[in-house]
Amino acid sequence: MSDDATCSCPTPDTYAAKDFRSTLKPIWCPGCGDFGVVSAVYRALANIGRPPHEIAFISGIGCSSRIPGYTTAYGFNTVHGRALPIAQGIKMASPDLLVLAAGGDGDGFSIGGGHVPHAIRRNLDITYLVMDNQIYGLTKGQLSPTSARGTKTPSSLYGSIEDPVNPLLYVLAYGAGFVAQGIPGDMDGLAKLIEEAIRYPGFAFVNIQSPCITFGDPENQVKAQKAKMKKLTDLGHDSTNRLRAMDLASAYGTELYTGVFYRNPNPPETYDARIKQMQHDLAPQAKPLDQLLTLAT
Amino acid sequence: MLNDLIIGMAGSGGDGIVSAGESLINASAKEGYFAILTKSFGSQIRGGESSCRLRVSTLPVLNPGGTLDVAVVLNWEDFLRFGGELPVGPETIVIYEAKTKVAPDAVPLKVKPATILCVPLEEMAIKAAGTELAKNNVVLGLLAGWFGLAQKAIIEGIHKKFAKKGADVLAGNDRAFAAGLEYAAQNPFAQDKRLSPPAPGKHASKVLTDGNEMIGAGAIFAGCKFFGGYPITPASEIMQYLQKELYKYGGSVLQAEDEIAGVAAAVGASFAGKKAMTATSGPGLSLKTEVLGLSSLAELPLVCVNVQRGGPSTGMPTKPEQADLFAAAFSSHGDTVRPILAPIGVADCFEVTVEAFNIAEQYQTPVIVLSDQEIAQRKEIVDPVDTSKLKLVDRLRPNAQELENYTRFKLNDTGISPLSHPGMKGGAYLAAGIEHNEKGSPTASGEMHARMNDKRLNKLNPLKKRQDLFIIEGDADATIGLIAWGSIAGVALEAVRIARAAGIKIKVLVPKLVYPVAEDIYRDFFASLQHCIVVEQSHQGQLHKIIRMWVDTPKNFTAFAKSGANPITPEEVVQKIRALATA
Repeated sequence: MSDDATCSCPTPDTYAAKDFRSTLKPIWCPGCGDFGVVSAVYRALANIGRPPHEIAFISGIGCSSRIPGYTTAYGFNTVHGRALPIAQGIKMASPDLLVLAAGGDGDGFSIGGGHVPHAIRRNLDITYLVMDNQIYGLTKGQLSPTSARGTKTPSSLYGSIEDPVNPLLYVLAYGAGFVAQGIPGDMDGLAKLIEEAIRYPGFAFVNIQSPCITFGDPENQVKAQKAKMKKLTDLGHDSTNRLRAMDLASAYGTELYTGVFYRNPNPPETYDARIKQMQHDLAPQAKPLDQLLTLAT
Repeated sequence: MLNDLIIGMAGSGGDGIVSAGESLINASAKEGYFAILTKSFGSQIRGGESSCRLRVSTLPVLNPGGTLDVAVVLNWEDFLRFGGELPVGPETIVIYEAKTKVAPDAVPLKVKPATILCVPLEEMAIKAAGTELAKNNVVLGLLAGWFGLAQKAIIEGIHKKFAKKGADVLAGNDRAFAAGLEYAAQNPFAQDKRLSPPAPGKHASKVLTDGNEMIGAGAIFAGCKFFGGYPITPASEIMQYLQKELYKYGGSVLQAEDEIAGVAAAVGASFAGKKAMTATSGPGLSLKTEVLGLSSLAELPLVCVNVQRGGPSTGMPTKPEQADLFAAAFSSHGDTVRPILAPIGVADCFEVTVEAFNIAEQYQTPVIVLSDQEIAQRKEIVDPVDTSKLKLVDRLRPNAQELENYTRFKLNDTGISPLSHPGMKGGAYLAAGIEHNEKGSPTASGEMHARMNDKRLNKLNPLKKRQDLFIIEGDADATIGLIAWGSIAGVALEAVRIARAAGIKIKVLVPKLVYPVAEDIYRDFFASLQHCIVVEQSHQGQLHKIIRMWVDTPKNFTAFAKSGANPITPEEVVQKIRALATA
């Protein structure tokens, strides 16, 4: 960028995971899956190698949305459900930044659910991490949009009587170019998925099954998840096959697949690239600023 | 000869009435007049009744005016639907279509106008051009002939408009216009009703525009680099203008999936270090409220234009009202003050927008610009903006020393702490909607919350000393005063000029900074007053009530308030003033 201190050039500096860890102490409960997620983010960012000040990390509201504050990047812990539109505004205004958005399943698929399809169809180069714990933890354990039918919570005392959203299928159906799922119990795998998502040139989505130790299913915590997970690579899944990816994604809630469901082998041009092109093409038509409005003849 | 002429015309959708109004104002601009063209439609998306009123003058026009000097009626049913928008008085010259088969002594008007002219408009059009479609050009010919309106420029306009439709169509419309002129010449008025020639000057430099376009242009001038919005009547043209223009100046526009996403993206762009704006109307303002609160708490500059329309809920989207003031001032949870600016006409929309950006940037706050449907969508001939007197303010950014141990929300005397943005090395911090300490870390400390509230609210105090954001006219020691804001201010200003010309001592205050209430400025204004009327286009008289929350008002402090879409005319306000002056 020319007009300020921002630099888009890849830097030769190398970073370690610790360079992305802030001094702020997480408020998460001991044993929360999100600790593993933030560690994976540190590792992914270290591998990417962009300096922290060139990264904007945007979140909504919820336990997991505290995550930007635990990094040394520019963080923006916004309002409930609006991480994606805010992240898109940042990317449009400053396309050379590395923009990460994050939040929980409620933030992304309930209050903010309306923004997801539009972020996908616009296809800005943004990575969206959802920490999906199937519960509202911050407000003490109510039903979430990804809670399984029958889940008993303080807001569903008789068991949930509605079906959950399938985040993977939802995002695949709207045409996201990169869709993956990871768990904090598989730190190496998760860090690699996040890194791949960031490297994907376009909107990338990683669903992270990050269990809630306080209000979540005791049978489905970090260690148990690790035992249950099935790596898509082990199944021989071809991640360029979108229909097969949707088939596998349909097992959300019954099977715990990890890895890349889908990666568009021919990523289309991003929205931010189109903006840059339009700015470039239209710049010659700019008028002197004191003559913006004149009488048409 | 006249210096000021108000023409109202109404017909069905296909009659070309609005198009005739546009031809007239275009021609008037070219000849160097000032004018306002207000269009009004029924609620149909296409077709149905349509009308326009044009006020042309040799001097700058402050408002669309009241009673018509000339009424053009293509059919009575449509004309009468506009009621108070097209008021006919005893002096009005009424020109109507003979095809309506209404006898001149039986026209369905409450007031009997002195001059009633029944003209076979359609018959003349068919005779001249072979089609009834040309009847709006017959009307233009009549108006040009009787009232001396911009004949040459109208013909040029007709030629330009029909050039692509072939020589036959062009010649037909020329003949239709000539037929109107000829009719006027053969049926002259007893008294000369022609408009005086425009004042000499650089006519070619006049600008024909509307409030929405002026706001868009003002934003570009101010350095806006991002706009996020959603289509909504009557604000959409701001987004449309910027979509066409902003990329040329290195910016971009997001037509978002909803109102919330539009303002959210704008806050994001501001966080990224760029000047950003959103625009909407009432329902959209309701939806944007939470994110405006985020902008207040995270201290991120943002301009939000709200083009008021009739409300609540869907209300009357195509009609003006000034009833969003409470919403603009108070619709945030928590202790929040956001500055509200209001343009008074098309002419000042540009500089008010620039000022909104300046205040947003200087004080790191959301600023709401309260325009309204009247200003937003009427066409107005204005002098070009003198940009040499406008200065631009950018946010305070941290210097190298401040970046060594960057403290985003540093508590200091001004309450304005340097604001970094992503990309700035050493400036990384956590912006948040959650209360924070000076470093930006989340806090639940009551003491810190109180100190941050002090910072966010007190930093705006210097704004209340800004005399330049107020218009005060009239006799400083008058005992009668008026207050008006937004599009109604032009009505009040004209009323005061009429009253003073009649020998009444009076003064008027127009706040362009509507909120926070500038206590001292009102107090000074009130000092000499025994009576003060706040003139407003809202049922409750919202500014009248807001002023009373902060300032001791004169003993007789009343509101002359009308719900939206009920025009307030200078004549009515003058009547109110006379009543007080003779009491």
